Parts: sequence; structure tokens; C-alpha cells
Amino acid sequence: MPREGLRLVSPAFEAEALASLDSLYRAALRLTRNAADAEDLVQDTYLKAFRAADRFEPGTNLRAWLFTILHNTARNRARDRARDTVAIDSEVVDRAADAPPPGSRSAGGPDTPETLLMRDTLAPDLQAAVDELPEQFRQAVWLRDVEEFSYAEIAAMLSIPVGTVMSRISRGRHLLFDKLRALRPANA
Amino acid sequence: MHNCDSLDPLVTPFVDGELPDRDRRAVEEHLRVCPPCHSRVTAERAVHDLLRARRSTLCRTEAPDALHLRCAELVQASRDEQANAETAETRTSQRLQNFQNRELANPNWRQNENQNLQNLQNPNLGTPNLRTRTPNPELRTLYAPWSAFALAASLVAVVGGAFYVATDNTRVMAAQLVADHEKCFAMNSALGTHQSASIVEQSMGAAFDWPVHLPDEPVRAGLELVGARLCMYGQGKIAHIMYRHQGKPVSVFMLPKTMRAQEFVEVLGKEAAIWCANNRTFVVVAGEPRRNVEQIASFMQASLH
Repeated sequence: MPREGLRLVSPAFEAEALASLDSLYRAALRLTRNAADAEDLVQDTYLKAFRAADRFEPGTNLRAWLFTILHNTARNRARDRARDTVAIDSEVVDRAADAPPPGSRSAGGPDTPETLLMRDTLAPDLQAAVDELPEQFRQAVWLRDVEEFSYAEIAAMLSIPVGTVMSRISRGRHLLFDKLRALRPANA
Repeated sequence: MHNCDSLDPLVTPFVDGELPDRDRRAVEEHLRVCPPCHSRVTAERAVHDLLRARRSTLCRTEAPDALHLRCAELVQASRDEQANAETAETRTSQRLQNFQNRELANPNWRQNENQNLQNLQNPNLGTPNLRTRTPNPELRTLYAPWSAFALAASLVAVVGGAFYVATDNTRVMAAQLVADHEKCFAMNSALGTHQSASIVEQSMGAAFDWPVHLPDEPVRAGLELVGARLCMYGQGKIAHIMYRHQGKPVSVFMLPKTMRAQEFVEVLGKEAAIWCANNRTFVVVAGEPRRNVEQIASFMQASLH
């Protein structure tokens, strides 16, 4: 239950916060994979943000702050409700992230120019490939390459060290590259 | 010159343009002589560039208009709550000031008030005592603690209310549910009965287009199921599940397809905990201390689905 006292929300804070609603909703959808839960999560995020508005440091990234609240809320919910879905073991994910990415130092890297591969990728294929990435890698890559947050901001959101953020981004990008390469007609 | 292993942690920041010049030059130098690392960097950069280039396509999904409206309402609600909190703080400080002023002006005022109370409770004492300035010492002993408690309680009520003031809509909803809570328990004499979860689930399931699944072991939260009713709310029906908790009535309402913020409100002397899940609104109503109601609500939140 919300327990905090309430703080004054300035019109500027309100406008800037609400401008991030669509991207927060997309992040919530990626986290919950369910429209109703995503809406609930976004609403809860704003409720917390408005209640804690005085704790936001002016001059820092409000959007990143909101994303951090959203991810923390999602994590707490998952923990509190002890959902029956099997959570991904962070350590396993990180060990996987530490493994050398495909094509790193092994023989037989991509034979064709990667830029061509990327140029040929269709939008639905790209979306599907992103959606299929394991949760942790998907979050890290999305937050960096689509939402354009800094490593430190992502580390705060996901509650992991900056080094882990980078290794997850790296691993996620390589997994995505492999998926997209496999979609090429020449490789089918 | 870097070797391949030492290059590992630098690849991603290199692709992202986050490396200091010195490290960047060292990586570039290594890539010129190491085709595997070069391929690896090229692959990572290609994905990075692709995602950035397709950002607008990937971000096409927008939040529903209703969510935009609800979140905008939250701002106004928080402003209203802030205003209420400030008003309540002012009232509290005024009360404290009055208390101090009265204390300074007439140190016996509390005793007089105690006697007023005593007279109200026991008319046989008669009016003369109402105006006495030399109260009976026994009465003073008897009622002085009550006076302190009354003051503390009034302050708690004012300050406590300030922190949990809900929006008007939520208050109206909570007030109606509190009325249903009182009415259903009184009309059905449900408190002394017992009901099995499967029967309630069956009867509720038949009345709604969504299945009602009750907690398997309510006893873990000290709850015992005593019955269920359909109540009218707005234009439709809602489920009213009735429990007994430490001998007292507890209601759990389930409202289909109504989204509200998670809130805790005090209405008509009852506590109401409100939350949403799966496009439904759940409300626990009880006349117990907030801490107990919070525990019941947490249990329900984790168990109901």
C-alpha cells in the first residue's frame, strides 16, 4: 500500500513526466507481456513518482528516473506475488553473458558485409527477433539502443553493476545478430 | 597493443562511442590486425546501428488513451492530496496552538472538560458540577488519562487522514462498499456461519464472465470464509466475499473491468485497501486497525487470481 506523504508536483515536472508515458508503457509491456498488467504497472509508477517528486534531483534525467521506478516496481511485484512462472536465474544469465560471443575469435565469422544483412532486415522480423531475446539481454539492448540510456542509468534501473550492463548489451546484440543472420534467405 | 582477452570489456563501449581516446585508439589498432575481433565489433555495431535506425518503427506502440487520462488524473489527485495534507497540518498546528493558549489562560480547563464529559455521560451528576472550578479530585484522577487520549486520538485522526486522503471518486466507491459491507453482514447474519471456497467460487463463477478463485488457505491470514453475495455497483454486479477475522467481519469486493490506483482510504470508520490486477479492482473492507487490514490485503493480493 502506498505509505508516503505527498509532495508538490510542479507543472513542468508533470508535463515532462507524462511525456514519457508511451515509452514507459512499452517498457511495461516488455516486462509484463500483458496489456492490463502493463497499464497497472505504469499507473503505479506514476503514482509513486508523483508522491516522491521532491526526491527527484533537478538536472538529472527524469525519464531515466521514471524507468528506474518502473523496473523497481516490476521487480517488487514479481517478488511479492511469487509468480508461478520460473524466473530467469540472474547468475545463469550472467554466466552466459560472460561466455565468448559467437564469432568472436572462432573461425568462420560472418562472410557477408554486416551492413547488408542489416539493410535487408524487415521490420516485423526485427521486432520478433528482439521479442525472442532472453529477458535480461532484451532489456539491456533495448534500454541502450532504442531508449538511448547511459550504462549508469541502465545499471540503476536493472539494479546490476555497470560491467554487467555492458556484457548483457554485448551478448544481446550478438544473439540478435545471429537471429537476423539466420533469417537471411541465403542462409535459410 | 591489446590482446583479444583484454579487448573483451572494451568492445561494447567502443561500439557505443563511450571509450576515452587512448583506449579507442588501442582498440582500433588491435582491430586492424585481428580479423575475428574486427568481425565481432562489426556485428555488434551493425545491430546497434540497425536498432537506432529503426527506432521509430520499434516504438510504434502507444499507451491507450485511457491510461494517459488516468495518469494525468493522478497528478491532480496528488495535488489535491497535497492541499489536503497542508490544510490538515494547519488544522493540527491550530489545535496545538489552541491547546497551548488554553493551557496558559486556564490550567484547569481540561478538568472542566472532563467534568463536562462526565455530566454528559451521567446526567445524575446534575448541572452544578458543570461550572465548578474546584473539581472533585477523584474525578480528575479518573478522567485525566482519557483527556490525554482524546487529544492524541484527535491529532492522529487529523494527521492520519491527511496522508491517506483519496480522490473523491475512490472515496465514493469505498463509501458504497463500506455500506455494502455493513448491510450484507447485518442482513445475512453471516458472521456465525461457515462456507466452503468451492461453493462460493461456483456460485460467483456462474454470475460473472470471469472465474472467481479464492485463496486456498485463508486460515494462513487468520481468515475464515463465511459467505458471498452479489452486490450492485454502478450498472453492474460485483462479487462480495465475506470473511471472519478474529471474530470480526471482513469483506473482499471484486469489481470487474474497473481500473483504479492502489490506495488505502478510511471511510465511515472502516479501512478500505484498493488495488488492481488483471483488469479488475479488488477492495478489502474491515473495521480493524490499518495494520491488520494491510496484512489481509497483502495476503489477498498474493492469493487472489
